[in-house]
Amino acid sequence: MIEFDEQQKRLVLKLVYYGPALSGKTTNLLCLHDRLQQEGRGELMMLDTTEDRTIYFDLLPFFYVAPSGLKIKLKVYTVPGQVRHDATRKAVLQRADGVVFIADSQLIQQGVNAESFANLEQNLSMVGLAIEQLPLVVQFNKQDLPGVVPEAELRETWGPTGLPVFMASALQGWGVLETFQAAVEGLFDTVDQKLGLREHYQVSRDDFVAQLVQAETKL
Amino acid sequence: MTEASSHIEFIIGEEKRLADIVGKAEVEPLLRSALKLGITRAALLDEDDLPLAVLGELPESGAPVRKQLNILVEGEPKGALLLEATEDLPGFEAIARLLQDALQLTVTNNLKRMLTTEVHTTIVQESYEQLVNTNRRLMESERRYRDLARDLELKVEERTAELKAAYSRLLQQEKLAAVGQLAAGMAHEINTPLGFIGSNLHSFTKYQARMAEMLELYQRLLDEGGVLEQIAWQARQRRQQLKLDFVLTDSGLLLEQCREGVERIATIVAQLKGFAHLDGMEQQSMDLVHELKQLLAGRAPQFPPNTRLITDLQPLPPVVCRVPLMVQAFANILDNALKSRAEGLELRVSSAVAGERLLISISDNGCGIPADQLPRIFEPFFTTRPVGSGTGMGLTVAREAVIGAGGALEVTSREGEGTVVTVCLPLTLDP
Ligand SMILES: Nc1nc2c(ncn2[C@@H]2O[C@H](COP(=O)(O)OP(=O)(O)OP(=O)(O)O)[C@@H](O)[C@H]2O)c(=O)[nH]1
Ligand SMILES: [Mg+2]
Repeated sequence: MIEFDEQQKRLVLKLVYYGPALSGKTTNLLCLHDRLQQEGRGELMMLDTTEDRTIYFDLLPFFYVAPSGLKIKLKVYTVPGQVRHDATRKAVLQRADGVVFIADSQLIQQGVNAESFANLEQNLSMVGLAIEQLPLVVQFNKQDLPGVVPEAELRETWGPTGLPVFMASALQGWGVLETFQAAVEGLFDTVDQKLGLREHYQVSRDDFVAQLVQAETKL
Repeated sequence: MTEASSHIEFIIGEEKRLADIVGKAEVEPLLRSALKLGITRAALLDEDDLPLAVLGELPESGAPVRKQLNILVEGEPKGALLLEATEDLPGFEAIARLLQDALQLTVTNNLKRMLTTEVHTTIVQESYEQLVNTNRRLMESERRYRDLARDLELKVEERTAELKAAYSRLLQQEKLAAVGQLAAGMAHEINTPLGFIGSNLHSFTKYQARMAEMLELYQRLLDEGGVLEQIAWQARQRRQQLKLDFVLTDSGLLLEQCREGVERIATIVAQLKGFAHLDGMEQQSMDLVHELKQLLAGRAPQFPPNTRLITDLQPLPPVVCRVPLMVQAFANILDNALKSRAEGLELRVSSAVAGERLLISISDNGCGIPADQLPRIFEPFFTTRPVGSGTGMGLTVAREAVIGAGGALEVTSREGEGTVVTVCLPLTLDP
């Protein structure tokens, strides 16, 4: 649910990292926090955790100011992946404008992935969101581990869905930005369709994406 | 938006203003410590630069040094710490940073706490909604079942009423049929004695004229006077002419027949009374076994020769019924048994409680009822015995009495072997 205050020229978007427990959602956000320029983003806020497991959510905000003066705030959330926190997951999922599904690439986790994806579909419909109308990006994380499902196979399985699929290792820091970028692009497109970002607010897609996904130029 | 989301009112992480996150009371102690460190005036401004809290006074003169430092909410400047001091305050910069850090920490921690609380509230709210929904669903289904049950009850009542009506119509029809049968049977049954009573009376009228003539002759002969022998001879002559010896004997027979006929009619009428006035009679408690014993004793003279009576009368709880009718019922059954055999009758009478019912059975080893006649035995005036030896009302009356008391009467019989009549009555616990 795009939060748009036309008078204040302020737009708040919500992107939710969803997925099974321990798939690396929090690690993805940590990585984004590390890799992206401080200028465009806020601090990573991690609400109470128990033994590093998310029990509420993590939040990493991003900011963008268009030449027209329109301010866009993108709030990136992670949900708790553990099955028992379903109510929290549902609560965080409310009014999401986009979803990144972080799957675990390990062979033994494929059942868990499927369950979690079904849970996502169910919860989306429960909070009144239509999965077809939501930008959705899939990431197969932990590609650095042995015993992962071969990429070709994953692509074969997920290809027919038409969803953007990325291979990643949040631990090693690759694939994370690409995933995020695809999500940001998807978000831009849906919002543009609804609000006419380009037409009315002179927001350029490339600029928007570049600003948000601006890697820190490390020494 | 679909229906599901319309229930959820709490949204996690909605945009907040600084004033939502920290209050004056929380900020003031921090600002006060700034004053203690030599700051002249300290304030926390919100996103519109309006003060949330201000401490300290600015002096009339002397332009102070101002420092304004941002306070972030979710990484966004949402307010500012404004400090004013005299130019010569040592370490102003350091104090300002320290205060900013402290305020920022407070704001961030408060925000985290609020977010945590929001999640909790949402979950609680959701489970509450779920509870309410579940409860509503339960109540709805309960109501549905209640309605269903009520409708069902109504339907059953309606059906019952319908059935009752139909049954009573049927009963009425049956009664009418029975009455018709009764009337027909009665006409026939009463006509026979009436026929012979009438013809007997007709004969008796002629006889009576002859007797009167004889009496007149006597009177006239005596009045005229004369020889006694003469009178006697004349009278004898006339008496023979008038066949008075025969007339007198036959008159006795005729009158006796008439009396019998009248008795038969009286019996029929008496039984008809019982048949017709079932409702008028009062219900009373009855000791069946006692009545049976009395009945058996009373009927002993009518037992055919060489009768063997075998009784197995177990005590029964009192039966509430129209006592005279019930006694009549058993009398009729017993009479049938007594008439079933000319001699060597084996009569068995037993009573017992079987579950919720009382069973009284009277059986004989008599002639029995032919199978083709068995279905008709309860018809009024139907009888297997030769004309004149039974009214055909015995079992009809017996069955009416038993049914009237809520029971049932059953007859099993084999021609030439005997008959068993079983009366089954409901067990009435409190008389
Ligand atoms: N080898 C490897 N380990 C990873 C990778 N990403 C995350 N992990 C590890 O997996 C564990 C769980 O990561 P988290 O990011 O906390 O998982 P999460 O999805 O947030 O889990 P929940 O909060 O319980 O839902 C941590 O020990 C991470 O270090 C990866 O790409 N490769
Ligand atoms: Mg986590």
